[in-house]
Amino acid sequence: MSLSRREFLKSSAAASAAAAIGMNVPTELEASAATAESGWRWDKAACRFCGTGCGIMMATKNGKIVAVKGDPAAPVNRGLNCIKGYFNAKIMYGADRLTQPLLRMDDKGNFDKQGKFAPVTWERAFDEMELNIRKALKASGPEGVAVFASGQYTIMEGYAAQKMMKGGFRSNAIDPNARHCMASAVVGFYQTFGIDEPSGCYDDIELTDTVVSWGSNMAEMHPILWSRVTDRKLSDPDRVKVINMSTYRHRTSDLADIEIIFTPNTDLAMWNYIAREIVYNNPDAIDWDFLKKNIIFAASPVNMGYGMRRAGEKSVMPVREDGSAGKYTAKEMETYNHEMVHKVSANEAPALKAYGYKEGDDMVNKPAGLKHWEISFEEYKKFLEPYTLDYVAKISKGDPDEDINAFKKKLQTLADLYIEKGRKVVSFWTMGMNQHTRGTWVNTLSYNVHFMLNKQALPGSGAFSLTGQPSACGTAREVGTFCHRLPADMMVKNPHHREKVEKRWKIPAGTLNPVGNQHIMKIHRDIEDGLVKFAWVNVCNAYQDSANAKHWIKAAREMDNFIVTSDGYPGISAMVSDLVLPSAMIYEKWGAYGNAERRSQHWRQQVLPVGHAMSDTWQWMELSKRFTVKDVWGPYTLRNGKQLADVRKAAHDLGYTDDTTMYEILYANEEAKSYKIDMNSFPQKGYDNSDCSGDSRNVIGGDGKVVKGCGFMVHEYLWEEYASFGRGHGHDLAPFTVYHKVRGLKWPVVDGKETPWRFNVKYDPYAAAAVKKSGNGSDFAFYGTLAKALPYGNLMGVTNSEKKPLTNKAKIFARPYMDPPEVPDTNYDTWLCTGRVLEHWHSGTMTMRVPELFRAVPEALCYMNPKTAEEKGLKQGDLCWVESRRGRVKAHVETRGRNRPPRGLVFVPWFDEKVFINKVCLDATCPQSKQTDYKKCAVKIYKA
Amino acid sequence: MKVINKITLGLVAATLLLVGCGSDTTPAKQEVVKPTITAESLSLRKSTLNNEDLKPHGTKYSDTYAGSGHKIKRAFQDAPPMIPHDVTGLIPIKIGDNQCLGCHMPEVASAMGATPIPASHFTDFRPATTIGKDGSVEKDGHKIKNTSSEKLMNVSIKATEGGKLYGGRYNCTQCHAPQDTGVLAVPNNFEADYTHADGASKSTWEGTKLMEGINTYESSK
Repeated sequence: MSLSRREFLKSSAAASAAAAIGMNVPTELEASAATAESGWRWDKAACRFCGTGCGIMMATKNGKIVAVKGDPAAPVNRGLNCIKGYFNAKIMYGADRLTQPLLRMDDKGNFDKQGKFAPVTWERAFDEMELNIRKALKASGPEGVAVFASGQYTIMEGYAAQKMMKGGFRSNAIDPNARHCMASAVVGFYQTFGIDEPSGCYDDIELTDTVVSWGSNMAEMHPILWSRVTDRKLSDPDRVKVINMSTYRHRTSDLADIEIIFTPNTDLAMWNYIAREIVYNNPDAIDWDFLKKNIIFAASPVNMGYGMRRAGEKSVMPVREDGSAGKYTAKEMETYNHEMVHKVSANEAPALKAYGYKEGDDMVNKPAGLKHWEISFEEYKKFLEPYTLDYVAKISKGDPDEDINAFKKKLQTLADLYIEKGRKVVSFWTMGMNQHTRGTWVNTLSYNVHFMLNKQALPGSGAFSLTGQPSACGTAREVGTFCHRLPADMMVKNPHHREKVEKRWKIPAGTLNPVGNQHIMKIHRDIEDGLVKFAWVNVCNAYQDSANAKHWIKAAREMDNFIVTSDGYPGISAMVSDLVLPSAMIYEKWGAYGNAERRSQHWRQQVLPVGHAMSDTWQWMELSKRFTVKDVWGPYTLRNGKQLADVRKAAHDLGYTDDTTMYEILYANEEAKSYKIDMNSFPQKGYDNSDCSGDSRNVIGGDGKVVKGCGFMVHEYLWEEYASFGRGHGHDLAPFTVYHKVRGLKWPVVDGKETPWRFNVKYDPYAAAAVKKSGNGSDFAFYGTLAKALPYGNLMGVTNSEKKPLTNKAKIFARPYMDPPEVPDTNYDTWLCTGRVLEHWHSGTMTMRVPELFRAVPEALCYMNPKTAEEKGLKQGDLCWVESRRGRVKAHVETRGRNRPPRGLVFVPWFDEKVFINKVCLDATCPQSKQTDYKKCAVKIYKA
Repeated sequence: MKVINKITLGLVAATLLLVGCGSDTTPAKQEVVKPTITAESLSLRKSTLNNEDLKPHGTKYSDTYAGSGHKIKRAFQDAPPMIPHDVTGLIPIKIGDNQCLGCHMPEVASAMGATPIPASHFTDFRPATTIGKDGSVEKDGHKIKNTSSEKLMNVSIKATEGGKLYGGRYNCTQCHAPQDTGVLAVPNNFEADYTHADGASKSTWEGTKLMEGINTYESSK
């Protein structure tokens, strides 16, 4: 053993030396597919799971995946994967893969919503979809046709879906599950920088001295980033500090120097405490030169509610004497009523004093939208005044058994580490700060601290939002697969943006719908209100992943509508659906994902799909063949009274006839056909392409004929057309083929070079150009263009409505601490937090089918403090009920597990269909970002 | 009992149909197939969505003590091995307290009857990242244009100093997990293709194997 290890060390030392002098590694170390043993073909791909975006090497043999290894060449993970990453090898081989469309029907073969499922052909499946989309358009117009979209779409799939929905059906009711995972981060970016996505990159980890994790269990949720943090910590344990900020102890605490356990929602107060420490007690630490050149201060309304249903909406009418309303019980309404009027609590009062509120006041909530205005530094300073150590420690100490002075000392140390001159600091966060009824606020507060210290957009320093899903950035955000967005940070409500997109898509002016408000929860609520009549669950699991699930399931199953789910495996959304479509899974198709450091990564189709499964891109193209100009481009009146013009005449001017199909316009157009199938050249050579050329399975398609594919390289076409929106606008992507040669590139890619730190003139050519133009000599330019002209005012409101431009500037926001809408009381006395575990991905449809992952964590446990268990008469391994005002589940009690909550809080992950925790969770959202707060609601726990 | 029988029947019928379709390459004329597949049979819940009274799976990890010699077959060649023994008291892993290393470091593993940590874990593939005087990003001392490249010179392979475990692999439970001994929710049809006779028990990921196949551009252009 020791001998072979020595040999290994020798050979790898040689390789390292070779690399050091810039030589190629000796040929005996250089292996290619030809020399790979046992007929394995290795190819690169991106991991299917989290937002880290690791590179994997995938081996295939005889058309099957046989192994996966970490890709030594991938900059993200350098040869290492986490347990899920390795088991990408098995995710497509669960025994119950969907292989045929399934339709609910009666014994005669007619669709029957109450029927059981039977296999049908693709042709029948598309017949039913077509029929029901036509019905929905007729009943409700474009707002009646909805898609639950995904941060797990490939970039091309997301773009294809967006084209048909917005360009074809003229419906903006397409919103991704990414809404649930990083919408607050996005609004934070928009409001602060005027453009989406992080300044920094993962190299920050190797370059920093301090990692502060805010509401992010990186050890389980971004394991490879955590392994980089761990390596950094171990390499210089005295200098490098790791601080974990969380509402309960978890694996990220295990390697931390300091752990701060706080009460849910008080991250708002702690960020403001650090800012106050800077402004009041360490004013010398403020980089005024940086602030004057680059930053303004801003405020916004505080009485904006919690993103729940508002009084007067159809399903909460009528209000009855017993307190119930419409489809909601009196108990549910106890929480919902906060949406209209909220009583200011003792905890909130000091923070809200400057806004004219005192304890016990009624705060009347109004939809605030995204409006904000500039204020003075003095006003910001006044806003910070209440966030003293005493006040913040009092409301934020989350472990009732911790000594208050010990807690205060930790907060002080935290502030000192941020402020310390010469100390680099990265603040990472994920769902704790995003899934938050003040998610947008808390995201913006993070930048405040970094800006004042000039520790943002620098190597090793910055506030860095980590994303949850593999392509929440790449597909959902960059492609703009949201109800309100278009590609490359363009917005449906902006007429110039719509015009640009209409021109590029070669569709008539006025086709695109300017009203984009059907975010995920709104789609669910619109189904419950009877407006949405057709919904497609597309590469997500909307009926398992949405909070307050019982309502949405009941609406889908019992009302007059048609629900479709396309998936690799049947999950809860399939159970709820009327039609289930078998989708090709990740490595059964060409694709690309974009990760949390702006890195876009492509892969080729490795194997053929199973059964009759076909990709989602193919499904969109097949569906588009069913709709012509005359079907979808007539006039509509939206529910708010706005008119969508009849654009059929204008379509004729573009050379289309009434019978031209959306397929011919949006997908198989002349430009698309210029991207040729070329099986003799890289990257297509030697790789299957089921979407473009069909495959040996000879699947029968939507027209009843054998699928021969579209006949052009649709993946390259969709990529290039999509990329054309961002090139020259700060979102530059490289050509399709380049990505197949490299391990991803961080956009903007300018002249073939990626951008490591945005907004910094040293690293970002857009920043350099902006500073050259402005001539202000700054080292930074926050050049995003959204919300970059503001009126002026104070904390209470606007005093001068004249808008002043803020070119190249970012914003520091005054945003106070506020309570969440549902806080534990005597009846529901415990906080519930939900989330993921390392071994399972989201709703578990893939990972529960991998034996090693299933066996690692076969059930969702109710993690609780041993003292909480004792108080409730429970012990380790007992079954308990977790019950909220909305529903209850049974789970096993775990008092010794990886998650160790303080008294008064329990954690129950959501991957387990049998422990359906989203029946219990509250569908409150950040009113600005519309992202659900899954991290806090009130429950009671009792023995089952 | 009745319900279970019905579900089972539905499942059998569905399986027959699906198997039939999956292997058939000629188009089947759409005939009226009786709907027999219940939503419950499709799911892992195996019950209605309204039913609250579901019993969770339960977890029973191996109670075999560490060092008893029991091993779990690797899922495929060079897959991370799963933990065959009880880990009570051995985790969590903390700075300065990683009890896995006590038995699994190569020097002691065979004496302890433990699977030795393989060479890959004593290798650092990450080039040293620094910022040069002019602010440029350097990897292993070289100015780089992009962090990604398939050129082998951009792949760093360094043995860790003094035979120390690579810090990025310190969190053993990131890849290795104890295993429940109950029944699976769903079987998996993946088939391993071990390239080595002892592939189910031993890692080969060292030396040239580390680099095998990584030049995916050269090998397929």
